[in-house]
Order: sequence, then structure tokens, then C-alpha cells
Amino acid sequence: MAKKSHPLVDATEPNFLEETFDYSLPPLVRFDGPVIEYVDGEPVEFDPQSLKTRDIVITDTTFRDGQQARPPYAIDQMVHIYDLLSKLGGPSGVVRQTEFFLYTKNDRETLDRCRELGHAYPECTGWIRAVPGDFRLVQEAGLKETGMLTSSSDYHIFGKLKFKSRRECMDAYCQVVDAAFEAGVRPRCHLEDVTRADVDGFILPFAERLMRMSEQVPEDLSVKIRLCDTMGFGLSFPGVELPRSVPKLVYKLNQEVGVPSDRLEWHGHNDFHKVHVNGATAWLYGCDAVNATLFGYGERTGNPPLEGAIFEYIALKGDLSGIQTQVITELADYMRSINFPIPANYPFVGKAFNTTSAGIHAGGLRSDERIYNVFDTSTLLGRPPRVALTDKSGSDGVALWVNEFFGLKGDERLSVMKVHKVARWVRDQYEEHHRMTAISDEELEAKVKELMPQYWAKYKG
Amino acid sequence: MPSVEERVIAVAARVLRLDPSEIKPEHAFTTDLGAESVQSVELVANFEEEFGIEMDEDAALAVQTVGDAVTFIANVCKERGVDV
Repeated sequence: MAKKSHPLVDATEPNFLEETFDYSLPPLVRFDGPVIEYVDGEPVEFDPQSLKTRDIVITDTTFRDGQQARPPYAIDQMVHIYDLLSKLGGPSGVVRQTEFFLYTKNDRETLDRCRELGHAYPECTGWIRAVPGDFRLVQEAGLKETGMLTSSSDYHIFGKLKFKSRRECMDAYCQVVDAAFEAGVRPRCHLEDVTRADVDGFILPFAERLMRMSEQVPEDLSVKIRLCDTMGFGLSFPGVELPRSVPKLVYKLNQEVGVPSDRLEWHGHNDFHKVHVNGATAWLYGCDAVNATLFGYGERTGNPPLEGAIFEYIALKGDLSGIQTQVITELADYMRSINFPIPANYPFVGKAFNTTSAGIHAGGLRSDERIYNVFDTSTLLGRPPRVALTDKSGSDGVALWVNEFFGLKGDERLSVMKVHKVARWVRDQYEEHHRMTAISDEELEAKVKELMPQYWAKYKG
Repeated sequence: MPSVEERVIAVAARVLRLDPSEIKPEHAFTTDLGAESVQSVELVANFEEEFGIEMDEDAALAVQTVGDAVTFIANVCKERGVDV
């Protein structure tokens, strides 16, 4: 390929690329052409602009997959989390559904109390084994939809469920689907381990049979399909072969089998750190629902983090769509209060997610917070950018901390010269006293009071 | 009354813990006199206190040598009407 010349486009005014990096929103995902995937050797175009108009949604499994990986929540805790999920997703139901176990008295009481709140969203659905008798539980609970395990790889069909053949397995699953129809409950078939399954030999024939069965029942009972990347084997890259390709899996089911986008859902796991991007990829290629849990908590390495899906949703749609992003911080604070650990560096909610320790970064933050803050975290999350003071923070870091502490803006902000005594004290902690830990906010507050009494009296007195 | 240069050298000696006789106008604060980042800030803060003035942070921190600091401070004092 011939080299292309790239002359400097000189400028005396900065171009902050604000059509993408509108600071009031997470950076927008903007496409400049179609997305192309080769399927069975032929190029297939996907129109990413359709994401703007498609009713893509987030479904929640915090109380099911999320709870399988931790001690059970108390009923009051689940009701409170449900209430906050509703507030987060807003009136259009971006957080569209959440699923509940139905097996114990506590399960059923939780469901009843959540529904008593009267929220339209998230809709409550169930989760049961693929056993006809379990539909009684769904009926008694008055639910319209339930997920059920329909494991799809030979690892599960032969190794776990001990079927003698794929046909025997498919017949058994379809009997349960029939039982759901008879009970007036919409079945959501969870194709467990789909990224390790024989797609042509089992997944597509099974999906075709489910679509044929769905033609015999009212639309609101027609089968939904959840694609479960149970072991996190899914890959988002174009050109990857089945069964690991997320684009091809979605395409085959959506376009070749004809499962409508609004009846397709992606459920991932994070064994290879691909959980969020795989979910977003499923959205892109035609699957409307991404199943997620709060803060990604779920079996083993977890599920797509719901708050990550929220920011991806906003970035794809280009606006907040009624989402109340500050509820994410409220949820994180609540989870921490009930002993749910969140790592300090965890995106959007970790204690240090927008905290810098490096003096040079603090210097950038001090002159314009956009330089080192991902978006307006003060407005969207109630979390202004901060500095943690260490030996790397420098006077810039101290000045930033002090100005934030006093709440000073614009020309009111104190220069590095005004905080030099505190900066010296910080420096000496490491140079003279060989300190090995960051300096706490409480220590700094005491030092500011001691070493900057005139400013303390002015702003805190 | 000591000159601006004598006062600048006295402040620099105190902040950098040097003997005033070791400090010459041509000396750069960082490379010749060993001022670290926090000491550069302390120098500017102490010059402000010594001369009773406020200086633009970026401009003051950009000054490299003792002689340039003398000129810079003298100019600021003149602009602000401070006798030196």
C-alpha cells in the first residue's frame, strides 16, 4: 500500500473534539461507516446507526447470578436495591427486567415486596430449572416470564445432564417449553455454554424448533433466547470463527433463524476480561438485551457490570435517556454499607476511580479537570476528581486537594505558593520520616488547619 | 537597606540551606543550587513574603536564575508600587 502524507494542521486554538468528548456525557461511541463481518465466507453489513433507534435494554440478574456468588441478601436489602435499580433505569425502563429465584418463602416474599413498590421497571421475571413442575411456582407467583436452563454444549448435554443423544435433550427441553406455554408463561431459554456448543449441529436447529413452536402461541408467550457465555469464551473480534464469535452467534440466530432482536439476550462471564465488551458487541450486532449485575458480581469472575452497560448505553444513544446516573454512586455506597467489597480502582464507583496520586496529573487537573477526568463525574456521579497525596503528588497535588477541600472555584483557587507549608509537610513525611502509605484526608485536614490558619478561618471558620 | 539581590540571596540561602556566599546571580536555582520541585514553590512563596507582593504563579516558577529572579521581583515591585 502506498504511503499517505499527513501534513501538520497547525492551530492556535485547541480542538477538543467535543462532538465525541462532550464533557457532560461519557465519551460518545461514533461510527463512520458500516460494520462488516464475514459469515460463511460472505461479507455481511451491520448498520451501527440502528443502535440509536433500536430499543436496546439492560436486563439485570443481580438477585440470581449475582447472588449465586455471595451470601444471600436480606429481603430488605433486595427490595432497596430493586427500588434503586428502578430509579437508575428511569421511566423508559433502560433497566428493563430483573430475575428472581422462586424456590423459598424468602424468595417469594422478596418478589412480592418488590412488586408492591409499583414500579413499571424493572419487570420481575423468574428463574427455574427446566422441569415442568417448576412452572407451578411461576404461575403461583403470577409472573409472565421465566428463564429456564437449556444447556447447549455437549459438555453439558452429555457430561452434566447425561442425555443419551442431542435429540433426547432437545425433546426434553421442548417439553418444558410446552409446559410453559400451557401455564401461560413466556419461556426464556438460557442456552448455557453456547460459546462452546455445536452451533450448526444443535444451537440453530434448536432455535428453529423454538421459533416454530412460538408460531403456535400468542406473541406475548413466544420464546425468548438468552445466549449464555457461561465460561467467558466469547470473542468480539471480527473474523473469529464459531462458536466463540459473538457477532456470528447473534447474526445466525437473528438473521438466519429469525429470532427477533427483542427476543435475544446476551449473558456473559468475565473469565477472560471480555465480559463488558462482549455484551456491547451483542448489542451492536442485533441482540437487544444485555444481561448484567451490579458491579459485575456473579459466578466466579462475574457478569457484565450493569453500571458499565449504563454508560455504554448512554455513549451509544448519545443522551441520558432518562437514566439517573448518580444512583450508581448511591448503589455503590449502599453495597459497601452491607459489606459488599468494591475494589478502590473499580471503574465509576471505586474509592479511587477518579483520584490521581501523580503530581503531574494533579497539575493537569488543577488547570482543567477535563485533562485527567473521564467526564463530568461531579454531575453524573456526584464524585469530583480528587488527588491522593503521596510522595509523587507534588505541590500541584496539594493545591488541588486544598482547593477541593475549601470548595474554591475559578479565580478564588489558591496557588501552589499558598499551600507550600502543607506541601513541605507532605514531602517531609516521605523524605524525612520514610512514610510508606498515602496521607489520609483526616491528616491533611488537621495540617491545613494548623499551617494555613488564615485560610481555615476564612473558608471553614 | 539591603539591595534586592542581597534579599533574594538571603531568602534562597535560607530555603535551600546554603551559605549566602555560595550563591551567585548567574546560578540556576535547580541545576546549580539543587532546588527540588517543592523548594521552587517555597522560594517563590518566601520571595512574596519578603517583598510583600503576589506574583503570577506560572511566570514566577518559570524564572531560572538568581539574577533573573532579582529582575523579575524588581519589576513586580515597581508595577505594584512597592519600594525596594
